[in-house]
Amino acid sequence: MFEPYLYSAPALLLVAATTLVPIVIGISYAFRNIMLLDPTSGGFVGLDNFRELLRDASFWNALKNTVVWTASCVGFQFLFGLILALMLNRPFPGRALIQATIFLPWAIPTFLVGMNWSWLLNPAIGPLPHWAYALGLMNAPDNILSDPDYALWGPIFAGIWWGTPFFAITLLAALQSIPREIYEAAEIDGAGGLERFRSITLPFLAPTMVITVLLRTIWVANSPELIVVMTKGGPADASQIVASYVFTQAYQGLNFGYASAVATALVLLLLIYAFLLIAIRQAMLGRR
Amino acid sequence: MASIDIKNVRKDFGPVSVLKGVDLAIASGEFAVLVGPSGCGKSTLLRLIAGLEDASSGEIHIGGRRVDDLPPRDRDIAMVFQSYALYPHMNVRDNMGYSLRLKRTPQARIAEIVGRAGAKLGLEALGERKPRELSGGQRQRVAMGRAIVRNPKAFLFDEPLSNLDARMREQMRFEIRKLHRDLGATSVYVTHDQIEAMTMADRIVAMNAGIIQQVGTPLELYDDPANVFVAGFIGSPAMNFLSGEARRGETGVALSVGGKAFCTLSQAVAVPEDGRVTIGIRPERIRIGVGAGQVVEAAADLVETTGAASVVHVDLAGQAMKIFTTERLQLTQGQRIPLAIDAKDVCLFDPAGGGRLR
Ligand SMILES: Nc1ncnc2c1ncn2[C@@H]1O[C@H](COP(=O)(O)OP(=O)(O)O)[C@@H](O)[C@H]1O
Ligand SMILES: [Mg+2]
Repeated sequence: MFEPYLYSAPALLLVAATTLVPIVIGISYAFRNIMLLDPTSGGFVGLDNFRELLRDASFWNALKNTVVWTASCVGFQFLFGLILALMLNRPFPGRALIQATIFLPWAIPTFLVGMNWSWLLNPAIGPLPHWAYALGLMNAPDNILSDPDYALWGPIFAGIWWGTPFFAITLLAALQSIPREIYEAAEIDGAGGLERFRSITLPFLAPTMVITVLLRTIWVANSPELIVVMTKGGPADASQIVASYVFTQAYQGLNFGYASAVATALVLLLLIYAFLLIAIRQAMLGRR
Repeated sequence: MASIDIKNVRKDFGPVSVLKGVDLAIASGEFAVLVGPSGCGKSTLLRLIAGLEDASSGEIHIGGRRVDDLPPRDRDIAMVFQSYALYPHMNVRDNMGYSLRLKRTPQARIAEIVGRAGAKLGLEALGERKPRELSGGQRQRVAMGRAIVRNPKAFLFDEPLSNLDARMREQMRFEIRKLHRDLGATSVYVTHDQIEAMTMADRIVAMNAGIIQQVGTPLELYDDPANVFVAGFIGSPAMNFLSGEARRGETGVALSVGGKAFCTLSQAVAVPEDGRVTIGIRPERIRIGVGAGQVVEAAADLVETTGAASVVHVDLAGQAMKIFTTERLQLTQGQRIPLAIDAKDVCLFDPAGGGRLR
C-alpha cells in the first residue's frame, strides 16, 4: 500500500529540499524580529510584522507604484513588441540586420541598461531632457529622475526599451507559424487587411499573448533592478515599488524580518494574480 | 461562369524565370486540368489567375474582363488549397459562410446557402465542428463547400486531393467531377498526378519547366503526344522509349533497334539526317506472341503482377522495355519471347529536341 509512495519518495524529497525548504525558511523570517545589527533580535513575533505592514503608508504607496510600473512596462512592451513583430513578419531588404539590431537590448544586462538610461535622462551628460525641452514636452531641461511626480517614469522608459524585444521575438515566432495559405484564403474570401488581422492573426496569437503577458507581468513586478539602479526608489520613496521596497528595507533599514513580511505579501499578491489568470484561461478554453 | 484567357504571361522570381510565356484559353464551363511534374510552375500559374501573385508581363482575362490589376477578392473566383487552408478558429458553418458574412449577407440567407452547400457535400451533421475535429476527407469537403458557397465565376483547385489516402482520393475525384457536372462552373484544376488529369479533365494542359507542352483532351494527349515529355508523363506504366535508327526504304521507313529490325512505318515521316530517332511505344500496345505486325525477339527479365494485369520487363537489344498484359504468364529470366509490334502504335521523336517526328 505504501509501495508507490516509496518509488516517488526520492523525487518528492528532492523537490522539497530544493524548492520548498528555502521558501519556508524565507517566509519564517517574516514572523521573526531580525535586525541585522542587533544581536539580541531574532525572536518570534507572530503577526507583528504584518500588522505594521498594514499601517505602513510607504508600503501602500509602493503597492500603487507596483501596479503603475507593471502595467505601463508590460503594456507598452507588449504594444511595441506586437508592432515590431508585425513589421518584421513581412520581407523587406535588410530585414535580417534590422531584426538583429532590434533584439539587441534584450542581450544587455539590466544594470547596464539602468545606468545608461540614468545618464541619458541626466541633463548634465544626456541629450534626452534637452530634446524634450526643445520639443516643448518639458518646461525646463530637468532630470525627471529627481522629480517626485515623474521619477517612476525613468525606469519605466528603460524597462520598455529593454523588454520590448522579448515580446517582439515571441510574437514574431507565433506569427511565423501561421500558414500563409490561410491569409490567402481570407483574401480571396474578401477580407481586407484589418479584417484578416482580426479574424486570423489575433486568434492565432491569443494563446501566446496570454502566456507571455502572464509571465512578463510576474517577472516585471518582481524586478527592482532598474529602479534600484536609477532612483533607489526615490526621491522620498516616490518611485518605490514593492520589490524595491523589500530591497531597501533589507539593506538600508537592515530590517530582515520586516523585509520578509513585505516580500511574502508580494508573493501572495502575485499568486492570487496568477491563479486568477489561469482560471480565466481555463474558462476561455472550456468555452471553445 | 466565365472563360479564362491567359495571354503571353511570364513570371520571374528574381533571376529565376518560372513561367516563360504562357498562352491558354479556357472555355466557359470547362474543366481544365493543369498537369506537370513538381516545380514546373502550375501553382504559380493558378496563383496568378487568383491574383495572389502578380505576373511579370502578359495579360489575364476572366469573363472577358482584364483582371491583372484587380485584387483577389474582386476577381470573383474561389480557390481550394492543397492544405485546405480552413480557418482553425471557426466551426464548419462559419468557415463556409465567412465570405458571405464579409459581403454583409443577411444571417438567414447565409444559413440557407451554407445549409444547401453542406447538404450537397454531406456535411449537415458537422456544422458545429472545428476543422481540427474533422478527418482529411471532411476537411476537403469543407474547403469545397467554402468555394461553392461563393457561387464564383471560376473554381481554382491546387492539388486538392494530395493529402488524402488513395481510396479517398478516388472517391473525391468522382465527387468533384459530379459537382462540376451539377454546377457547370469553369474550373482550373492543378495536379501532378496524371491519373487525376486523365480521369477528370475535359481538357488537359500539360506543362513542364514553365512552358505549356500540349493542350488537348485526355485521349488526344494519350494517343497523339506532341513530344517526349507528354508521351512519357501521360500514361502508367509509362511509354517505352528506345533509341533506334530510321532508314527510308521502298515500303516506308524501316526502324531498327540495336541493328535488329523493329518495324516498318508505311506513312511518311520526317527523319533526321543521321537517322537517329527515339522510338516510343505504349506498354499495352505490345503483344506477346506472333501476330499480324512485325515480330521482334526480346529476353524476359521480370514479371510484376497486380492480379488484374501484369507488367513484363524485357530486354530488347540491351534496352529495357515494359509490356503491359492481362494474360497470366509464367516466364523465366532470359527466356526468349516474340513480340508483335503494330506500326500504327509507334511514335517517333527527335532524340535531340524531344519533338515529335511526323
Ligand atoms: N515566392 C517564390 N519565390 C521564389 N521562387 C518561387 C516562389 N514560388 C515558387 N517559386 C519557384 O517557382 C517554381 C515553380 O513553383 P510552383 O508553381 O509552386 O510549382 P508546382 O506547383 O508546379 O509544383 C519552383 O521552382 C519554385 O521554387
Ligand atoms: Mg504546386
